[in-house]
Amino acid sequence: MSRREGSLDPQADSSVSLLPHLEAKIRQTHSLAHLLTKYAEQLLQEYVQHQGDPFGLPGFSPPRLPVAGLSAPAPSQAGLPLPERLRLDAAALAALPPMLDAVRRRQAELNPHAPRLLRHLEDAARQARALGAAVETVLAALGAAARGPRPEPPAAATAAGVFPAKVLGLRVCGLYRDWVSRTEGDLSQLVPGGPA
Amino acid sequence: MPAGSPGPAAQSARRPPPLLPLLLLCVLGAPRAGSGAHTAVISPQDPTLLIGSSLQATCSVHGDPPGATAEGLYWTLNGRRLAPELSRVLNASTLALALANLNGSRQQSGDNLVCHARDGSILAGSCLYVGLPPEKPFNISCWSKNMKDLTCRWTPGAHGETFLHTNYSLKYKLRWYGQDNTCEEYHTVGPHSCHIPKDLALFTPYEIWVEATNRLGSARSDVLTLDILDVVTTDPPPDVHVSRVGGLEDQLSVRWVSPPALKDFLFQAKYQIRYRVEDSVDWKVVDDVSNQTSCRLAGLKPGTVYFVQVRCNPFGIYGSKKAGIWSEWSHPTAASTPRSERPGLGGGACEPRGGEPSSGPVRRELKQFLGWLKKHAYCSNLSFRLYDQWRAWMQKSHKTRNQDEGILPSGRRGTARGPAR
Repeated sequence: MSRREGSLDPQADSSVSLLPHLEAKIRQTHSLAHLLTKYAEQLLQEYVQHQGDPFGLPGFSPPRLPVAGLSAPAPSQAGLPLPERLRLDAAALAALPPMLDAVRRRQAELNPHAPRLLRHLEDAARQARALGAAVETVLAALGAAARGPRPEPPAAATAAGVFPAKVLGLRVCGLYRDWVSRTEGDLSQLVPGGPA
Repeated sequence: MPAGSPGPAAQSARRPPPLLPLLLLCVLGAPRAGSGAHTAVISPQDPTLLIGSSLQATCSVHGDPPGATAEGLYWTLNGRRLAPELSRVLNASTLALALANLNGSRQQSGDNLVCHARDGSILAGSCLYVGLPPEKPFNISCWSKNMKDLTCRWTPGAHGETFLHTNYSLKYKLRWYGQDNTCEEYHTVGPHSCHIPKDLALFTPYEIWVEATNRLGSARSDVLTLDILDVVTTDPPPDVHVSRVGGLEDQLSVRWVSPPALKDFLFQAKYQIRYRVEDSVDWKVVDDVSNQTSCRLAGLKPGTVYFVQVRCNPFGIYGSKKAGIWSEWSHPTAASTPRSERPGLGGGACEPRGGEPSSGPVRRELKQFLGWLKKHAYCSNLSFRLYDQWRAWMQKSHKTRNQDEGILPSGRRGTARGPAR
């Protein structure tokens, strides 16, 4: 496999095998992403239950207003080279923890008797940080790490009213799920024997 | 759900929005330039109201291009569409809503009042907090475990149902001096409890009270004054042993050890014993076991398994005049009384008076039956010999068989305990 940056070609000569420890790291990171995808879906369900109807009702569709510092994974990104996609994944996972922390702080005011939700939001911030670090480790091992220091993620967005805060929290939980799922998909292309 | 008729303007308590850091905002309702989208603002934002009060709200639409209209807008509350007659168009861009006789909020995060465009899309939202102010908490009770800490619990006023998040804070201070302190470890023995783990003074009274606060107001309990030494409890007595008293079939001896934490101070401790038969739920309590660490239970049933527990009251510790608080019961300890040797007492041994040998059919089934009977019955000496003697007696006394079928030659019925209930 080529060691040039940006040359993570999953179609590379099969006679070139990844170092065993790197292969193990990729598998491990992929497994983590897979697990966190499930947790993220559960978090989203738990979140909507505590906001009351119409959150959680079928067809509920609040405006998908932009969240400062993070956008949703775009379909057009699928055409990017794998290292670039993984760098976007890592950047998104680095931006999510302060947002999840902000959601947790607001939910602690709105739903103080929902300790499980609060704990799961705290766990999600920690898990996003861990997965982001793991992706960056894989990128670095592959010689495809981002050049220069990563810009500091912006401070978390907040909302003035309670209803907008509920919507914002829903948006953040949705973004967390979307990015973790995207990361899992991107990593699956690196897993030896995985889908091309 | 709110009632249908419009009501007078509501005096709703509004909380000012929190100060915001210098951040990008994601506020539902901020118009986006050049997007062609309409958004709206609901007023009031996040009001707090008493149950039964009324609310008048407005949804003002603005957007790009200008000229957004209130035509076609509608309201939902907690996902349910509100009746059209509750709304009216105030002007071209504003839809008003009037709700009367509001019920308590369905969730503590607030009821979701939402303004929708004609196509159902969400334009704006506001959360309503409808409830009651807290009532005075009452019935504060406290206890100290081995004089090291203090745990208190209380009953919330109005049985706690204010429909709003209500915060309870246990406060305490030394009676004649010192500052107010706030308990920090909540929910230790139930939802309305708090634990003070350390730094408690003895021989001087404390004042303790509970403050309840929610969006609609606050309330304070009466002050409880107590001395830690008057509310001491301790651990259950350890090492409880129950044993037979020689061959006495109606007695058991119970021994235990003073709770170690207060062992050196329990000069006047009281103990209580309770016991029950194995298959019963009814406990018998032995009081007045003062300052002793052993006791004999009498008048028991022979051949019976008993469960026994002991608890301690550190009465009079350090000269306290108060009663003290009973500990938890010790873990149950079991023992059985000897079986009675006298006949006719709960089914003793079934001894044949004298018999004649005989042979009989189905001896294998009989052997199984005898094995079961030995296991479950009080007749410990059943045997084939007894059966054979019975058969001989039955053959001899044909007339007697017709009258006494099923009764043992001794004239007694063989008792079987049967499966345990």
